[in-house]
Amino acid sequence: MTNNYLTHRLVLIAVGLSTLALTACSGGVGGDQPDAVDDGPIRIGMLAPLTGSESVYGAYLRNGAQMAVDEINQQGGLLGRTVELVVEDDGCDAQMATAGATKLVSAGVQLAVGGYCSGSTLPTEQIFYDNGIPQVITAANGSQLIEAGLDSVFLVNGLATQQAQSAVKFAQKQAAQAIFTVDDGDAYPKGLTDAFAEYATGVGLNIVAHEQINKAEKDFGAVATDIVGRGADLVFCTAYVQPCALLNQQARQYGFAGDFLIGDGAVDAQFADLTGAAYVDRVYGTFTQTPDMLVGADSWLAEYQAKFKAEPGPYTTQAYDGVRVMAEGVRLAGSTDRAAVAQAIHGLNGFELFSGPATFTDQGVLADSSFVIVVLKEGKFVLYDDLKS
Amino acid sequence: MIQVIVNGLSVGAFYALVALGYSMVYGIIKLLNFAHGDIYMLGAYVGFVVLGALTSWLSLPTALGLVLVTLVTMALTGGAGVLLERVAYRPIRHAPRLSLLITAVGLSFALEYGVRQIFGPQPSHFPVQIDAGSVHLFGATITIARIVVILVAAGLMVVLALFVAKTRQGRAMRAIALDAKAARLMGIDVDRTISLVFFIGSALAGAAGVLAGAVYGTIDFLMGFIIGIKAFTAAVIGGIGNLYGAMLGGVALGLLESFGVAWLGGQWRDVFSFLCLILFLTFRPTGILGGRVQERM
Amino acid sequence: MALIPRRPRPPALLRPPVDLVQPLGRRFDWRGPRAPLRLIGLLAVVGVFVLPFLNASTYLMQILTSAYIYVMLAMGLNVVVGYAGLLDLGYIAFFAVGAYTSGIATTRLGLSQVQAIPLVIVVCVLAGIVIGGPTLRLRSDYLAIVTLGFGEIIRVTANNLSVTGGPAGIYAIPGWQFFGWRLRDGFSLGGLRFNGQVTFYYFVALIVTVLGVLGISQIARGRLGRAWKAVRDDEDAAEAMGINTYLAKITAYIIGAVWAGLAGQLMATQQSAISPPSFQFLHSALILMAVVLGGMGSTPGVIVGALFISLAPEFLRGVADWRYLIFGLLLILVMIFRPAGLWPASAVLPWSRDRRRAAETAPPPPPESPSSPAAAADRGPTADGPTSAPASPEREVRP
Repeated sequence: MTNNYLTHRLVLIAVGLSTLALTACSGGVGGDQPDAVDDGPIRIGMLAPLTGSESVYGAYLRNGAQMAVDEINQQGGLLGRTVELVVEDDGCDAQMATAGATKLVSAGVQLAVGGYCSGSTLPTEQIFYDNGIPQVITAANGSQLIEAGLDSVFLVNGLATQQAQSAVKFAQKQAAQAIFTVDDGDAYPKGLTDAFAEYATGVGLNIVAHEQINKAEKDFGAVATDIVGRGADLVFCTAYVQPCALLNQQARQYGFAGDFLIGDGAVDAQFADLTGAAYVDRVYGTFTQTPDMLVGADSWLAEYQAKFKAEPGPYTTQAYDGVRVMAEGVRLAGSTDRAAVAQAIHGLNGFELFSGPATFTDQGVLADSSFVIVVLKEGKFVLYDDLKS
Repeated sequence: MIQVIVNGLSVGAFYALVALGYSMVYGIIKLLNFAHGDIYMLGAYVGFVVLGALTSWLSLPTALGLVLVTLVTMALTGGAGVLLERVAYRPIRHAPRLSLLITAVGLSFALEYGVRQIFGPQPSHFPVQIDAGSVHLFGATITIARIVVILVAAGLMVVLALFVAKTRQGRAMRAIALDAKAARLMGIDVDRTISLVFFIGSALAGAAGVLAGAVYGTIDFLMGFIIGIKAFTAAVIGGIGNLYGAMLGGVALGLLESFGVAWLGGQWRDVFSFLCLILFLTFRPTGILGGRVQERM
Repeated sequence: MALIPRRPRPPALLRPPVDLVQPLGRRFDWRGPRAPLRLIGLLAVVGVFVLPFLNASTYLMQILTSAYIYVMLAMGLNVVVGYAGLLDLGYIAFFAVGAYTSGIATTRLGLSQVQAIPLVIVVCVLAGIVIGGPTLRLRSDYLAIVTLGFGEIIRVTANNLSVTGGPAGIYAIPGWQFFGWRLRDGFSLGGLRFNGQVTFYYFVALIVTVLGVLGISQIARGRLGRAWKAVRDDEDAAEAMGINTYLAKITAYIIGAVWAGLAGQLMATQQSAISPPSFQFLHSALILMAVVLGGMGSTPGVIVGALFISLAPEFLRGVADWRYLIFGLLLILVMIFRPAGLWPASAVLPWSRDRRRAAETAPPPPPESPSSPAAAADRGPTADGPTSAPASPEREVRP
């Protein structure tokens, strides 16, 4: 008994001593030892979904950012230093994204560019902020991203509210009489239909119904019937490509003949295949410009294809623009300091991006969004109306 | 109103086809085959591959080709079901039920993410689609595709019902469901019959998968998850282990959902069907046809 | 067994179900069969407490914090699945309930995280009763699918209510705060500067998890734990021994719910934002995998399993797409070849002095251990055991 007790005490004492010894001789407490010193390369950390359901877009983001980084390095780097892109997977999952963000922090990145899903990008904002890293978000655009009010977070993709406004403009141009909105209950699609409803009723458009569909299902017969039954002449579907394509197909099978407008999440080359060749008429989308829609982007496109042996996709240009915005901020600030870079980016006025001249609002979003209307033609989405007039 | 009923029927036909497999397996070895919904998904992908192979060899008229593909797919998914039973379930058939359930969950994951690794996470486009327009009936619009689904499902169910009721193997199944030990003593090859049940159940799910691909035109690796749960719900509503119950339950659930969506809105659809399941399990776990449980299989 | 009632029993509702914990005052049992295990556990705990003093990279702290949250979850699910033998496929629902309760309490009601703890516990207990109440009388396979349904119901409901922030979820959830001092402020100790909150979350999560693990293993060794295992191994026999099986099951369910809820609160503070996609069925399945792979009913096994499941994708970054396929196959393989898990409850370290004694006193092997061929033959071809009678379909004959 006493023996036991004694041993117990001995163990505790030994443990205590070793703890103290370790504490005394270590330097690891409470933070990172940044690997990068001032004359090494400037590291830009990027979070993108390389695995998971959105992994297709991760590659677009990574390639777009790499294009910009290579370009900067060809022109002599940034502040006399080369630029290096470090990509981590966020899997569009909050847990993976926070782990990825901290991994980037530990790898000594000084700047952060990236982010595809709003839900997984949101928790990374605070991590980058706390570690003195300015952040440009390339694709995610949920309104909650700016509500934390962090002054060094910038969005190069337009907000849902801006996209909703362009959708409303389109509806007005088409003289829609009865609008039917559909989302899948996810954060971004729902925010988009909500914002759309607000603006649309504000300008006197008539929204006859709103419906939510389950993106895991395939039979939207009930909604399709409802669309026809209510005599809708414009459907605004903000879900992702498969549910929207199926809804378009089924609604048209039931006799829907109006305009089918989709949000940017569904503007995808697969849409035409998935919806079926018989139903590709009058399908429109709200979208940001892609390189193939731009005039004078041919050499950029050719370079991209040569480099990655692939076509650029959605958000490639935003990732490219995001890196350029960040680099410009660093150049103007003369350092990678968070506050200085943030101030410099806030001070940008008409910096030329793919999406047009960029000026950021106090909240860190583009003052002028670049949403355009695309139309499905011969299996591809092409520019229909830039809504400038 | 009629439109709502027709919508419910066509969804219910899918539920019923998948529910049959659930119910048969449950009836005979008391196993909740969690991976059954994924057999449906597997069927869709097998059909996708077979269709690709067939159309590259010979050009058949769409309808005939589709029938052929469905038959081949049924055989292949049936075989897959038998294989899975042999590899995963048979070694632990006598282990506690918890082990079987966990194996089933593992199997479901392995199937879903195995297919995903092969075909990718994005939905695939099913090359052939039943798309023959629609007819108007009593003020409702019914697409031909939906009529085909309902007819095919009904046809398969009639064949199955006859098989179980009239044939020797059907009698063996019923015997095992009643008392496996006694059945074995009477000289019935229990293992073989169980394999047969897995074959039939998986083949039906495979047929449903091909139908889904042909009707909706798209397939993806997670398509079996929701329908698996819904089919189980259907099987419970009808009375699990009971063949007719599975059919009835599938149709009933399809109708319930169709009306539920009409009343509550699409976002509550799954909540609605799960609540139906919980209410049934709590208050009438034997289902609608529960009074006839002894007749199961 | 002490579970046999010794005197006439008062009505069930008046009787305390079973004492919750064994007296905590036992000394460290240096020579007992489980002493080496305890020593390893002690060293591990000391190790993880010391770790931040050696390497406090934000990344390491972050992934370990997430791993501890997983351990907490897996310990809770272990009570339900490992000890009580109830398959819960919607366990993530309680995680969601805890996370949302803490999020709503702190962002909408203005409570601090510390004040929110009792609220989280109360809400989780209620959720456990509401969900477990009607379902625990069901057969075990029905239970599995009903809990799955409940998991989805909770997620879909959170996605559609405004108080939960809809699909965007709740964000800007405040961190831990003790007596006006916030973790974010950082502080200096012994000349070393603690900055950033990541390290602090590490310690908060670690302390909560260590308490959680100790708590569960205490309960599991007590009367309540024995009651659970009895119910798991043979419900009818347990009932015949005077155990209120329903009460035992629902206590397991409630304790599992509370542990998941606390883990949810940890997650909410760590991420500062929660949204419905974090609570999908996939996550329920992952926790189940942690428990099953590690060894149902085995505390060290479950801890190892949870660490494996949560850290594997970090080590396999880039090939993370393969993990679900691998996990699924592992589940099947473990169930067929090593049903008690990688570190079974009955495991004894090879160098233990008292291997034989340990083997005798070790807890009975969990139910999934393969029955001997003879026993299997005796049972006949059905999945029902020898106790199987033509049962009324309402009630489970054996788990």
